[in-house]
Amino acid sequence: MKPAERSHIGDIDPRALLLVTVVYLVAMLSVPLQRTDMIIWFAAYPIISAPLAHIAYERLFRNSLFVLPLLVFIGIFNPIYDRTPAFALFGITINSGWISFISIIIRGLLATQALLLLIRVSGFNEMCEALHRLGCPGAIATQLLMVYRYLSVLLEEALTMQHARQARSYGKNSFKASLWGPFVGQLLLRTIERSRRINMAMKARGFNGTLSTSPNMHWTTADTVYCLVWIPVFFSLRFIDVSALLLTLFAYC
Amino acid sequence: MNTPALEFKDVCFSYPGGHEVLRHVSFSIQPGEKVALVGLNGSGKSTLLLHTNGLLLADTGTVSVNGKVIGRKNVEECRKIVGMVFQNADDQLFMPTVETDVAFGPRNMGLKEEEVNSRVDEALRITGCSSFRDKAPFHLSGGQKKMASIATVLSMKPNILVFDEPTSSLDFAAEAQLIGIIDRLPHTILMSTHDMDLARRLCTRAILMDHGAIAYDGPIDTLPYPLISTL
Ligand SMILES: Nc1ncnc2c1ncn2[C@@H]1O[C@H](COP(=O)(O)OP(=O)(O)O)[C@@H](O)[C@H]1O
Ligand SMILES: [Mg+2]
Repeated sequence: MKPAERSHIGDIDPRALLLVTVVYLVAMLSVPLQRTDMIIWFAAYPIISAPLAHIAYERLFRNSLFVLPLLVFIGIFNPIYDRTPAFALFGITINSGWISFISIIIRGLLATQALLLLIRVSGFNEMCEALHRLGCPGAIATQLLMVYRYLSVLLEEALTMQHARQARSYGKNSFKASLWGPFVGQLLLRTIERSRRINMAMKARGFNGTLSTSPNMHWTTADTVYCLVWIPVFFSLRFIDVSALLLTLFAYC
Repeated sequence: MNTPALEFKDVCFSYPGGHEVLRHVSFSIQPGEKVALVGLNGSGKSTLLLHTNGLLLADTGTVSVNGKVIGRKNVEECRKIVGMVFQNADDQLFMPTVETDVAFGPRNMGLKEEEVNSRVDEALRITGCSSFRDKAPFHLSGGQKKMASIATVLSMKPNILVFDEPTSSLDFAAEAQLIGIIDRLPHTILMSTHDMDLARRLCTRAILMDHGAIAYDGPIDTLPYPLISTL
């Protein structure tokens, strides 16, 4: 095997990837809110892993932006209510509220990127299976799978309806607000009908409510190495003040 | 006479809150028979087919498979004997790859992994799907989807195959390929269709549905045609 192929994290066992992602999330999200300086180092994980999975980091970053409105909504109260001055930069006083705001945004984006990477690389079904293998009850893993399947049905139906609408709108692309109600109503009905039929097809093939897992997962040395590399890194980033360390190093030189 | 592979006895059925969709339906199919279920849209063909493996249960009357009446207790067993290919392949395929989709049924049956794999290989080979086994069903052509959905049922090794309008969304070439595959299957077959050419090619017997009741049951050559509704 060529080295390039070996470094492809698509070959990593979904369980290893899940484990690393969970440790990453716990380590990163447990950093105190005010320590934006510590948080930024955690960006190393998606920045390094994305190219290994043949995903451009810029793309991953852009895809993660969909959570931005939610993050702003969560974070915006910090600068409003917390006006304690933190430090001054070029004569402008920065409130600690703004620092936590930035910290929330970065955390949210990094967490989303890690999760997107996980699903992109292993696939959602494999993820549910990995959860199941790691001790998550089969019913929960199956429900996650169903929700995911339902969402993709929803998307497919929405696209079909969108195309049907475009085909009859004679180039007028504006979608009047008054049409949104019926559109959403129709979408819901169609999705329910479609899900009912999919469920029948699953039952016809002996589906009884729990996922039957395929035993195609093999934990290899590469998986152990993957975990042994990243997990200590996350712990170090969590408990060692890397920024301060670097500053001291620079001071010595 | 042999035990029929499939037998309907005086089956009546209405959807909740709806009018009666099946009205005193009775017929039996012998092992190895190939039967076309014909009739106009809305005459109750799909509803009838959903009774063959207990996805719908009759209000009155009985449906039996290999001599056993389908009830709530033995539906799972019946579903191993009666394999159903749904009209819309998009409803039937829901796993991330063709291969895992074909393995879905056998895995639910609790088979050993070697057995699952050999069944998957065989079903893919019979339906000509081996070359795109790793692809996502979402990316296949209409014809390929149909073949894959047949493979998902063949891998369960049913004795009876039920098809709901198998050619309804296929182009000319895909239809020809499908006919070639179904023609070689040794199973007992019941298929709904309003494509009379298809019915004549694959079946020797026809059952004509009209407003939920059987209007004709006999050799396909003497089927009254066109299928004009009597009401
Ligand atoms: N899920 C359902 N709920 C209520 N009525 C239904 C449902 N499915 C079908 N019907 C009604 O049952 C009748 C027969 O439908 P169907 O069995 O699909 O006929 P066919 O397959 O011959 O076109 C139709 O009048 C249809 O509107
Ligand atoms: Mg129908």
